[in-house]
Amino acid sequence: MEGALIADRIQFAFTIMFHYLFPIGTMGLAPFIAFYTVKGVRRHDERAIAIARFWAKIFTINFAIGVVTGIPMEFQFGTNWAGFSARAGSVVGQTLAMEGVYAFFIESVFLGVFLYGRRRVSPTFYAFSAVAVWAGSWLSGFFIVATNAWMQHPVGYTIAKDGTIELRSVGAVLLSPFAWWQWAHVMTGALLAGAFVVAGVGAYWLLSRRHLEIAQRIVRAGVIVGICASVVAIFPTGDRNGAFVTRDQPAKLAAMEGLFNPERDAPLAIFGMPDTQHDVLIDPFYLPDLLSFLAYGDFRANVNGLSSYPRDERPPVELTYYAYHVMVGLGTIFLGIMALGVLLLFLHRLFEMRWMLWILMLAMPFPYVANEAGWMVTEVGRQPWIVYGLLRTTAGPSPNVVAGETIFTTIGFAGMYFLLGVLFLLLILREIARGPES
Amino acid sequence: MNVAAFVLLAAMLAAYVLLDGYDLGVGAVHLLFSRTDRGRAAAFAAIHPFWNGNEVFLIASGAALFALFPKAYAAAFSGFYLPLIIVLWLLMVRGMSIELRGHFESELWRGFWDVAFCIASALLAFVLGLAMGNLVRGVPFNGSGYFQGTFAFLLNGYALAVGALALLALSMHGAAFLWMRVDDELRESARRLTRFLWPLVAVAFIGVTAATVIAHPITGHPGLWIAPIAALVALASVAFAKKVALALAGSSVFLLALMASAAQTLFPHLLPAFPSGTGLDIYNAAPNAYSVGTAFTAALIGVSAALIYGTIAALRMMRAK
Ligand code: HDD
Ligand code: HEM
Ligand code: HEM
Repeated sequence: MEGALIADRIQFAFTIMFHYLFPIGTMGLAPFIAFYTVKGVRRHDERAIAIARFWAKIFTINFAIGVVTGIPMEFQFGTNWAGFSARAGSVVGQTLAMEGVYAFFIESVFLGVFLYGRRRVSPTFYAFSAVAVWAGSWLSGFFIVATNAWMQHPVGYTIAKDGTIELRSVGAVLLSPFAWWQWAHVMTGALLAGAFVVAGVGAYWLLSRRHLEIAQRIVRAGVIVGICASVVAIFPTGDRNGAFVTRDQPAKLAAMEGLFNPERDAPLAIFGMPDTQHDVLIDPFYLPDLLSFLAYGDFRANVNGLSSYPRDERPPVELTYYAYHVMVGLGTIFLGIMALGVLLLFLHRLFEMRWMLWILMLAMPFPYVANEAGWMVTEVGRQPWIVYGLLRTTAGPSPNVVAGETIFTTIGFAGMYFLLGVLFLLLILREIARGPES
Repeated sequence: MNVAAFVLLAAMLAAYVLLDGYDLGVGAVHLLFSRTDRGRAAAFAAIHPFWNGNEVFLIASGAALFALFPKAYAAAFSGFYLPLIIVLWLLMVRGMSIELRGHFESELWRGFWDVAFCIASALLAFVLGLAMGNLVRGVPFNGSGYFQGTFAFLLNGYALAVGALALLALSMHGAAFLWMRVDDELRESARRLTRFLWPLVAVAFIGVTAATVIAHPITGHPGLWIAPIAALVALASVAFAKKVALALAGSSVFLLALMASAAQTLFPHLLPAFPSGTGLDIYNAAPNAYSVGTAFTAALIGVSAALIYGTIAALRMMRAK
C-alpha cells in the first residue's frame, strides 16, 4: 500500500508536470494569435496574418502534444486514484466533465477551422475562430483550475452516509473566489511564458538578422505584454493567492516561507536552507517583519510556524520551500528584465542593444520553470491532504493496483515522453529556423 | 434521472464510435488501401482536420462517466488497469503519427509513421471491442467494489470475438469514409475495400450476436429485437450500395445498432459481476440526485451545443473540398 502510494505520486507528478508544459504554450500563445489574426483581417495587414500563422504552427505542435499527454491525465484519476475518484468524483468529476464538453470541443472545432479554413470560410469567421480557440484554451484552464482549487479549498459539498463527498452546490464550486484568483494567476503565468517566447524568438531573429520587420514587431509585443503580465503575476494575483493560502492553508504558508516556529513580527526569508532535523533555516538572510506584513497587512501580526501543527499535518518542507523561492525569485527577475526591455523600447534603443536581445532570447525557458515551480508549491504544499482537510492522500490510490504495475507503466510513460519531448524540440526548432511565410 | 444519464452516456460513447470509428478504421486499412505515398498521404489528409475533435468524445465520455457514476469510473478504470494504459499508449502513437508524418519529406520517416499508425489504429479498434465484450460479460468483483482484470481473465473467447468484430466493423466504416473523401482511382480502391470487408463483418456479427443471445436471452419486450435487426439491414445496405452516401450511412447505422444492442444488454448495469453477483449499476454507483442531475444537464447542453457548432463548422469546411 505504502509502496503503491509513492509510485502513484511519482507517476502523477511526472505526467502532470510534463503535460503542463504544453498548455503553457497554447494558453500563452493563443491570445497573440487571436490578436494578430483580428488585426490582420480588419486592417488587411498581411504581415500580421503571417505572424499569426507562424505562431499558429507553434501552437499546433504544442496542442497536439498537449492532447496526447492530457488524455493520460484524465484516465489516471480512475486508473491510479480510484479511492480518490470514488470518494470525491461527485465533485471533481463535474468540473472535469465540463472541461470536456465545453472547452475541449470549442478548442478542437475552431482550431480545425482556423488551420484548414483560411480559404474556405469568410474572413470574419476565420478571425472569430482564432478568438474562439483562445477562449476555449482559457476556459479549459478555468475548469481544470477550478478542479484543483476545490481540492485546495473544498466548498459546496456534503458528506454522504458512506463517507463519500458529494456535490451540494455547483455554483459554490464554480464561483469560489479561491478558484477565480488561482485561475487569474495561472493564466497570467501562461501569458507571461507566451510573452517571453514571442519576444525571445523575435530577439533570435534580430540577432541572426532575419525577418527584421516581423521580428521587431513581435519583440515589441512580447515586451509590452511581458511587463504587464510580470506585474500582474506579483500583484494582484500572486498576492491574492498568498492571502488565500494564509487563510485556508496556514501549514502550507509556513512550509513555503520556511517558518518553523510561530512568530510575532515574523521576518521574510529571502535565502536560507531548511534543516528539518533541527527545525531551523541554515544561513538565512531575513528582511525583518516583512512576512507578518505580507501575510496579514500588519508588521506586528502573529504568523503560525510549522510547529503549530501536528507532524502528520505538515507538508514536506524542503520541496515546498525551494519551489516557492524559485517562483518568487524568478518572478522578480522577470519584472526586472521586462522593465528594462520596455525602457529601451521607449528610448528606441531596444533593437540595437544586442546584449538585451541575448537576455530576451536566453530567458525563454525560465517562465516555464517558474510555472512548474508554482504548481509544486501548490501541490506538494497541499500534502498530506488530497482534498484539503477532508481526505488524506493515503486514501487516494486504487486499492486493486499494486506498486509493480504503476512502476511498469511509469517506465513506459517515461520512454514515451522522452520520445515526445525530443520530437517536440525538433519540430519547434525547425519552425523557428524556417520563420514566417513571406 | 439515472436512466436518462445512462442513455446520455451510451449516446456519447456511440458518437465516439461513430466518429473516431472512421479515423480508427482509416488507420486500420490504410496500408491495404494504397501502396503509394500519394495514396497514403490522401488517407491522412482525409482525417487530419477531424481526428482531434472526434477523440474529444472519448475524453468527454470518460469524464461524463466520472461525474455521473464515480464509483463505476473508479472500479472500471482501476480494474482494467493495464489494458487502459496500453490504450493510452496506442492513442499517443496514433496522435503522433497523424500529426508528425507530414513534417519531413523522407521516405523512411513516412514509412515508419505509416506502419505505426496502422498497427496502433488496428490494435485500438480491437482493444475497444475487447473492452466492450468484457463489459457485457461481467467482471470478477471482490467484496469491496473493485476487481483486478488480468489478461488471463480478459482474453476470453467471447471478448476476443467482439474485438474482432470491432476491428472489422471499424475497418469497413473507415473504408466507406475514404470512399467519400478521396478522388479518382483511390476512390475505386476504397470502394473495393468496403466491398471486400462487409462479408467478414457479417460473419463476425452473426457469431457474436448468437453468443450474446445465448448468454443473455432476449426476453421481455419484442422491441429489443429492433437493434440487431437494424444492424443486419444496415449491413445489407453497405453490401449493395452503389452510392457512397448509402454505404457510409449503412455502416454508421450498423455501428449505432451495435452500440444500442450492447447498451440494452448491459442496462441497468454499468459493470455487471461475473459469473454472478450484484456488480455496479446506475443506482448503486451514483451519488446523490443533485449531483447526477447537474452532471447530466451540463453534459447534455455541452454535447448538444458541440454537435451543432461542430456540424456547422464541418459542413462549411467540406463544402469546398
Ligand atoms: C511565470 C509564472 C509565475 C510567476 C512569475 C509567479 N507565479 Fe505564483 N504560481 C504560478 C506561476 C507564477 C503557477 C504555476 O501558475 C501557480 C501554481 C498553481 C497556481 O495557482 O498558480 C502559482 C502558485 C502560487 C501560489 C500558491 C497558491 C496555492 O498554493 O494555492 C502562491 C502563493 C503564489 N503563486 C504567489 C506568487 C507570488 C507572490 C509571486 C511573485 C513574484 C508569484 N507567485 C510569481
Ligand atoms: C489543475 C489540475 C490538477 C489536479 C486536479 C491535480 C491533482 C493532483 C493529484 C490527484 C495528485 C496526487 C495526489 C497527491 O500526491 O496529492 C497530485 C499531485 C501532484 N501534482 Fe497535481 N494536480 C493538478 C495540477 C498540477 C500541475 C499543473 C502540476 C505541475 C505542473 C502538478 C504537480 C503535482 C505534483 C508535483 C504532485 C505530487 C505531490 C506530492 O506527491 O507530494 N499538479 N495532483
Ligand atoms: C490533472 C489535471 C489535468 C487533466 C486531467 C487534463 C486533461 C487534459 C486532456 C484530456 C486534454 C486533451 C484535450 C483535447 O483533446 O483537446 C488536455 C489538454 C489541455 N490541458 Fe490539460 N489536463 C490537466 C491539467 C491541466 C492544467 C493544470 C492546465 C492549465 C491550467 C491544462 C490545460 C490544458 C489545455 C489548455 C489543453 C488543450 C490542449 C493544449 O492546449 O495543449 N491541463 N488536458
